[in-house]
Amino acid sequence: MRYLMTTKPSDTAPDEKLYAEMGRFIEELTAAGVLLATGGLEPGGVRVTSAGDEITVTDGPFAEAKEAVAGFALIEVRSQEEAIELARRFRRIVGDGESVVQQVFGP
Amino acid sequence: MIVGVLPDVHRTVDAAWKLESAKIVASLTRMVRDVGLAEELAQDALVAALEQWPVSGIPDNPGAWLTTTAKRRALDHLRRAQRLERKQEQLAHELGQRQDRERGADARAEDEPHDVLRLVFLSCHPVLPTEARAALTLRLLGGLTAEEIARAFLVTVTVITQRVAAAKRTLAEEGVPFELPDGDHLAERLSSVLEVVYLIFNEGYSATSGDDLMRPGLCLEALRLGRLLAELAPGEPEVHGLVALMEIQASRAAARTGPSGEPVPLHEQNRGRWDQLLIRRGFTAMLRAREAGGAPGPYMLQAAIAVCHAQARSAEDTDWSQIAALYEALARVLPTPVVRLNRAVAVGKAHGPRAGLDLTDALLADPVLRDYHLLPSVRGDLLAALDRFDEARVEFRRAASLTRNAAERAFLERRADELGAAAPAGPVLGEAAEEFLGRDDLDPATRRSYGQTLRRLRRALGDQQPLASLTADQVTRVFTTAWGEAAPATWNRHRAAARSFGAWASLDDLTAGLDRRTETRPRARPLDPAQLDALWSLPDLPLREETLWRLLYESGAGVTAVLSLNVEDLDLEDRRARAATSTDGPSRARPRTRLRASWRSGTARLLPALLAGRTRGPVFLSDRRPGPARTPEAADLCPDTGRRRLSYERAEYLFKQATRPLDPARAGYTLRRLKQDPRDC
Repeated sequence: MRYLMTTKPSDTAPDEKLYAEMGRFIEELTAAGVLLATGGLEPGGVRVTSAGDEITVTDGPFAEAKEAVAGFALIEVRSQEEAIELARRFRRIVGDGESVVQQVFGP
Repeated sequence: MIVGVLPDVHRTVDAAWKLESAKIVASLTRMVRDVGLAEELAQDALVAALEQWPVSGIPDNPGAWLTTTAKRRALDHLRRAQRLERKQEQLAHELGQRQDRERGADARAEDEPHDVLRLVFLSCHPVLPTEARAALTLRLLGGLTAEEIARAFLVTVTVITQRVAAAKRTLAEEGVPFELPDGDHLAERLSSVLEVVYLIFNEGYSATSGDDLMRPGLCLEALRLGRLLAELAPGEPEVHGLVALMEIQASRAAARTGPSGEPVPLHEQNRGRWDQLLIRRGFTAMLRAREAGGAPGPYMLQAAIAVCHAQARSAEDTDWSQIAALYEALARVLPTPVVRLNRAVAVGKAHGPRAGLDLTDALLADPVLRDYHLLPSVRGDLLAALDRFDEARVEFRRAASLTRNAAERAFLERRADELGAAAPAGPVLGEAAEEFLGRDDLDPATRRSYGQTLRRLRRALGDQQPLASLTADQVTRVFTTAWGEAAPATWNRHRAAARSFGAWASLDDLTAGLDRRTETRPRARPLDPAQLDALWSLPDLPLREETLWRLLYESGAGVTAVLSLNVEDLDLEDRRARAATSTDGPSRARPRTRLRASWRSGTARLLPALLAGRTRGPVFLSDRRPGPARTPEAADLCPDTGRRRLSYERAEYLFKQATRPLDPARAGYTLRRLKQDPRDC
């Protein structure tokens, strides 16, 4: 089963220690064959909306930046509980904030 | 503590356990030096979690909790073991030291990956049978329960439990160390590990029933094991080769079955449904394999073939000559029939169906592929490409009759149907065989015997094979493949059946290539009543000989078994003997079979005189004591007289000598002919 974990931006700026711990965590999950892909996302981005025939393209930044996604990890695990356990470890490293874990269907 | 809506605590424990168990069991094995014990101690921690977490709540770091608890159990165990061994005074001192040592070892985080690698090598050790390696690896490295493993391998839980227990016992008995293999053994040990991982993958990959997710789940387990190995042994090209192979094969999982579960062949798959993420991971693994260097091994070559397919945007774009070349290289390092069959497919695509078909011809005589449905299926494809539709149809129908998978059978039948109706070519093999066996004048035993022969011919040649095109060469090939190694009597029985069928079907030349084989050991024909009467009337029969012959005749037991009887085995009152398996070690004359024999008045009259009060040792003794150069087994010596057990050779010689005057051929009879056909008794 694949799960996508998305993380919302936090107020605290990452420090050296967090980078080091994150690096180790990512390495460990890659080695365990669990982490398929991961990355950070640029803040804001470009918004494309459609309404009827009309398609609107808007450049950021946007007011509700808190609700955007700052990073993601695509993991392959046996169960939702495993995904949650990994998300738990991730949150312990990054500190206060919020992540969302969703099962991925397909391809 | 974590608050909020949580799934079942047990499922959380299980998830944390599965993620951590390999590391926990590995480091505990290093501590206690016994993988079976290590796993028990680790299981104790799991049980503790299942008891405590529902009450105390799930700890902040479940994985760390399990690890700490398990290590504490292991330390407790070591202390207990030491306490038993040593005096109390010494203990305090040494325990402290030992604990320091253990803590020091614990602190060495860099040891952990090596422990896991050691555990992989241990659970895939060649002293274990392959299925045991797979079960133990899933148990120890994947943290799977016996129930989960049993479901995945479609066996009962008991089977898995016993398999795992036996494997642990073997590892302990053989004293397999918890070490990485040294340079000399590395290649062999590594290939044993890779074999297990690929076996687990294929168990999952070849499962087509979607009822239970556990079987496809095996693919994930194998992928995880492979990816883990790639990090633990980054310098091994074959590890990356296997990972590349599995990633790319797994990338096709969604595309390889149709809506109703039927298999979709590679060249018909919707490539849009291939998982590009896994393909890219496969390519990356392949690059790492190349970087590691060395001559490409079987996994790398198979992965390279998979890469060729994955790179083709459409089936038509496939670089078949490259694939054919890779298969040729693969057939050199891994010349299995299946690889050779795949090579024929690739050559057929690259250099034309004629070339492919020629390669499959050589495979027809391979006993391994005798009932393998893909051989006729491939031949059907190649024949169809050569516009030889009638032959192709026969091959597809034969393939359909050989596969056990219903979806695949339907697919193959459809391939046959698509080739149009058969031109009227007269009677076909299947129907002719039914008609032949359905005749009234065959007795049931003959029908059963002929049925075996014809069933083999039908499976090998196809029910739709027109009788008119049946050749002696084909029949010879089937016979050689199926019964070439069989006993002459078996060969001759099938040959007779084929000849009878050929004569019935007016195909007299069908068995032209089959020679009758000499039956080296014909069944002994029991002596008839007249011969027996003559035997018992012989004058001056020695007591031992007459007793032996009577016993053989009346009990119907085998000669070796009767000669192996000891006095202790006899029950004179009830006129029976029961010989248990020899406990005196291996002995030539005492078979390891249990003998139960009973006799009648003739023997009963003679036995007491023969035994003459002896209470132990062989019943039938030789006349002389063994010479000084011969030292028979103790079990073959009479403890009272020092004489040895009568040998088969000697007993046979004496019987032949005695019966020579009775035998019209003047050769004398063999002892086996005293054994009466049970139907006559």
